[in-house]
Amino acid sequence: MTEAQAGDTRVDWEGALVQRARAGDTRAFERLYREHAGKVYGLCLRMTRDAQLAEDCTQDTFINAWRALAGFETRSSLSTWLHRIAVNVSLAKRRKSSPIEPPPEETEDAPGKWTLETPVEVREIETAIGGLPDGARDALVLHALYGYSHGEAAQMLGIAEGTCKAQLHRARKLLRERLGMEVN
Amino acid sequence: MTGPQDPDGRTLVGSLGELPQAIEPPRDLWPGIEARLGGMEAPAPAATAAQSSGRRHSARLRWLAAAAMIASVALGVWIGRSLVPLPLAVPGARSPASVANEASAVTGAPTALDTAYVADPRYERQRAELLRSLQTRLASLPPASRAKVMASLETIHQAKEDLERALGKDPGNALLQELLINTYQDEMRVLTDVREASDSGKGI
Repeated sequence: MTEAQAGDTRVDWEGALVQRARAGDTRAFERLYREHAGKVYGLCLRMTRDAQLAEDCTQDTFINAWRALAGFETRSSLSTWLHRIAVNVSLAKRRKSSPIEPPPEETEDAPGKWTLETPVEVREIETAIGGLPDGARDALVLHALYGYSHGEAAQMLGIAEGTCKAQLHRARKLLRERLGMEVN
Repeated sequence: MTGPQDPDGRTLVGSLGELPQAIEPPRDLWPGIEARLGGMEAPAPAATAAQSSGRRHSARLRWLAAAAMIASVALGVWIGRSLVPLPLAVPGARSPASVANEASAVTGAPTALDTAYVADPRYERQRAELLRSLQTRLASLPPASRAKVMASLETIHQAKEDLERALGKDPGNALLQELLINTYQDEMRVLTDVREASDSGKGI
């Protein structure tokens, strides 16, 4: 079976679970939760930098997903849809606990693959990312870690694409300083 | 996805894209989610498989069915009669019971229709009889009444066709099933009104 075929099978399987969940089957919804909880929690944790808050955000994400399941288009990616909800929930919870920072000047980020000059230990790079200002970290996490385009990340965060690129430029600059190496 | 390890066994990455996207929560969050779901309704009991084009189509169908209902209810109110809705099954078309059964097969669970509707062969006989005598009875009505009845039936039949077509593509859609049942009932209501108006000799 090719990778594409495996992907199709997975989507079909997921689509069937979504249909069952829509009909009120919580066991089907639990299977969707088990499949996606790690990525959703990872996203929430990186956005909030607070394990307890990330747990709350993850639970709220799945509760909101259950409520909105009727509006989910089965041809879309469930993963992306859940991430959008998770970003909204995390931003809302974070706004309650911290002031909104002003956006950076709109200096576009140079395109790159976020390659490190030399390999870095996971915990060290996660700590460096965690120390970034909220806006820069949000854009970095969605774009560099989760693979969303500038436009998609901007849309998820509710900011202009130019602002998103500026946040990425800022994130790259700060990571270089904190890691003491090039991030290209 | 992560790269090699350093001499101390720590995982190294060469780019941010190599960082794992998933981080498992420190505890199982599902029981908390499940407890909260327990107090909520199912996500879309009336729109099991709503999809983008389907939703647009459903909106049109809702409008059609609503129009059919308004037309027939207005007719019923106008002639001042109270009629008991009958269970329905249309010869040559998908009966509500078959629709309900298909939905059960799709969802694996009983639908609202399973309990709200019981197929009754008497309906088929009654409907066939009413249709046979419809033209004769309509002829006995004043032209204005006749026109209103024909307009109501046309709207109802159009709604039925649209709903049956939509259900063919999306048999598990509970909203469509419910609208179809309503439309069958509306048709029977209009046919019965015509019969009673004709029998009373008063016209509509």
